[in-house]
Order: sequence, then C-alpha cells, then structure tokens
Amino acid sequence: MSKVMQLDDAMGRVSRGSRLMIGEFVGAAEPTKCIEWLVEHEVGDLTLIALTPGMTGGFGKGHLYAKGLVKELISSHVATTTESSDAYLADKLLVRQFYPMGTVAEKVRAGAMGLGGVLVPVGIGILDQPGLFPELAEPKQKIMLNGKEYFVEEALRADVALVKGWRADELGNVEFRYTSAQNQCDIAMAADYAIVEVNEIVPVGTIPPDRVGIPGPFIDAVVQGQTLAEQNDHYRNHWIKLGRLAPVAP
Amino acid sequence: MDAKVSVRPASPDLARLSPREIIARRCAAEVKDGEVVNLGFGIPTLTSNYLPKGMSVIFHAENGCFGFGAKPATLDADSDITNAGCEPITLLPGACVMPLTTSFGAMRNGFIDITVLGALEVDQEGNLANWAAKRNGHWWPGPGGAMDLCYGVKRVIAALQHIDKAGDSKVKRRSTLPLTGTRCIKVIVTDKAVFDVKPEGGLILREAFPGLGVEDIRAITEADFEVAPDFGPMRLGL
Repeated sequence: MSKVMQLDDAMGRVSRGSRLMIGEFVGAAEPTKCIEWLVEHEVGDLTLIALTPGMTGGFGKGHLYAKGLVKELISSHVATTTESSDAYLADKLLVRQFYPMGTVAEKVRAGAMGLGGVLVPVGIGILDQPGLFPELAEPKQKIMLNGKEYFVEEALRADVALVKGWRADELGNVEFRYTSAQNQCDIAMAADYAIVEVNEIVPVGTIPPDRVGIPGPFIDAVVQGQTLAEQNDHYRNHWIKLGRLAPVAP
Repeated sequence: MDAKVSVRPASPDLARLSPREIIARRCAAEVKDGEVVNLGFGIPTLTSNYLPKGMSVIFHAENGCFGFGAKPATLDADSDITNAGCEPITLLPGACVMPLTTSFGAMRNGFIDITVLGALEVDQEGNLANWAAKRNGHWWPGPGGAMDLCYGVKRVIAALQHIDKAGDSKVKRRSTLPLTGTRCIKVIVTDKAVFDVKPEGGLILREAFPGLGVEDIRAITEADFEVAPDFGPMRLGL
C-alpha cells in the first residue's frame, strides 16, 4: 500500500495541542509545506521539539511563533529567529529549560530507540545550579556512575514527526542530500506518526538500498514538497534578504 | 571560510585594525596545521581569513560535516549544503557528512582539536560564559552547541573584547553569568591581551597589543594574572 498522501490527509493527524517534532537545523532542511499548512490552518497550542527555533526573518517556523501557535518550545536555543525570541521575552512562549544541542538530539534518539533516557555529562555544575530554570517543578535528576556525575535525561517522544528529505518512494524510503540528514531519521522514529516531505517522489527501486537515510517502515506518510529547484530559490532568496548571499543582477 | 581563498591585506596600519580583526588575527595563530577546527559565530568565524598561507585544516560544522569550504556564489548555493548557522557553504575535496548525533559525539568525545568561541565573560579559573544573559527576567538566548564544544574539545580558545561598553573588564575574577563550560578555556584572546589559563586555574599574561605594557593590561583587567617570562607583543600575522 502506497504511503504517498495528499498534504491535507497527512497533516490531518495534527490537531490543536499536538506534540510535534520537526526536522531542521536553524531552518535548514525543514518541511516547508507542512509548516505552511500549520500556519494556514492556525493549529495552535502546540508543543514543539526542535534542535533550534529555525531561521530568522519571516522564514518557515518563524511564522508559527509570530502567530502564537506554539505554546511550549523544547530546544537548545530560543533566539535563532526574532519571532521566537520576541514571543519568549513577552512571556508568550514557554521554555522550561534549555538543553545543550547534543543533549536534545540524544533525548530524541532515546525516544527513537525505545530507551527510557540517556546519561549526559555536559552541563554538570552549570545547568543544575539552583534558580537557573524557575519553571522546573523539580531539580534536574543526576546520577553518579564510575565516579562521574551525569544528568539523567529522559527520552523525548511526540505525537507527530514532520521531517524533510530529498526523495522518497511509496514504501516510505527516504534519501537525503549532503548536510540535510541531520537527526531526521531519529525524529521520524520518535513519534507515533511520521510524515516526510520530499522534493521528489520516485518509483520503488530508484533509491539504492545503501542510500536510504530513513527506512520505509519508520515513515507513515510521504507528501510532495517543493521541487529541489523551488527549494533552492526559496533558500537563496531568503539568504539574499538576510545578507548571507549577494543579490543577483536581474 | 577557506584560508586558500582569503585575501590578506598588505601590511595594514596597526592603529587602524578593528578590535574584531585583532582578535581574529591572533586566534588564527592558535590553530595548527592539520587540526580539526570548529569556529563559533561572529569574531571566531573571521579567524579562517587569517590562517597562514598553505596551512591545511579541516573545518567541522555541528550539523554534521567535516571539510567545508568558502561561501559559494549566489547561484551555486545549494539549500542542502549548509553550516551550523544555516549559511550556504561548499564541500571541499575530502569532505564528509555524518548524522547529527555523530557530529555531537565527535564534539563531546575529543575528536575536535580546537574551537574558537565568542564569550560574554571569562574568568581566571578558565570558565567561559556565552549562552545566557538576563533579559526581561528570563535567561536568554540558549546554548545551542556551545556547551557540547566546551565539554569535549581539546583546546578551547575564548575570543572576546577586553572591556564592555561601560568600560568594565570582561576578564573577571569570577564570572557572574551562567557558564557555558567550567575550567575549559586554554587561551583567552582579547583585543588587548593574550592569557594562558593554567591547568589548575589562574592566568598568565603572554602577550599584549603592540605598545601596551603589563601595567596597561592590569589597569583594564579585573582578573589576577601572572606575567610570562617571555611576555611580548601580540602576534598578529602582519
């Protein structure tokens, strides 16, 4: 049975109050069409788990914070977009604690791999300082193991994962290009329902087995996103707007 | 980002160097040939412009890449080839990509030789603070990957201006901000001075900006420090 679906059908799994994980790294390789769908349908009260809030300047996930659709952010940072930074400083976006990015990634991986959590030494003596995170009901849990102290970091899971690949087949096998793989496979595995948005949907057998970045069984829905050419234009134009690339003469 | 494509200004006047350029130039002298290097954003990124000609290093990006190169021309920019700040980069011959968790494993587990990180404050124990300031009653903006770097990279170089806008020293006896890394800094590079941090804590003044003496540095530094026997002018690669 093909996993290829219309965007509306796949995104129907997301509702007000959903707990979402979105693949991305400061906005790179994020599922643009899925995020636009959330913005258009004004799905609110979301808990969002992501490595960072996204790319600044009115790009992608930034619109979610600007419209007040995200209630809580679980991440390593709050200010890679001005929209998330403004919402947080105006008390309209809850961040209970900040995690080192490697810790967020390992919490997601634990959720993906069926583990209860992980032991992380990063931030000991820093993130456990009293008063640093007043929103936390209890202090961060720690454990001594072989003479060294670690945080006990619980696994993270979500209702729905939104990830972004280059191309996928109807079995849900996903291939990535270059630096876009990130932790998208872990994210797909850490949610009850995983939607992948891709530039191209290809016949089964097109993607070489050793190039599959997310195996099909981890994916529930494949949706058509921007073509690669559209995606390149989309990012280049925003990078020009941010001054990260030089404008092109018409 | 690639030393090979950078343009080195021909003998610029010392007095006309900006604080950012001074710091970036001096940080470049900390990098050794063949090292795996992670540069933080801001001043540290500029360091790559001042690496000596012919030096070959491997740049690491947190999002999962060894061996990236300079920014591409606009129409060559590929939306799937980006660095840790979501800026377009290029991949040099020999580059490799890896999953994000592998990249952070490399950071925690000593596979990165050196990192240059910007800082809000440093102190004489080798503590580095760069992820949190108080804004509107909240700690802001978050560590990103900086705590992972401070935890596991072999040599952490702190890059910052010596004094803040109010004229106060950013090289403290004891940092008052939430830390990014505890006792992690090996070298502090400012626009005025270079300090080594002793393994057991404590600073040694190694260099000062040309024309400045030990007492000039003492006057603008809150931290206590010793003076190296071979104390001399800052190496700026000019």
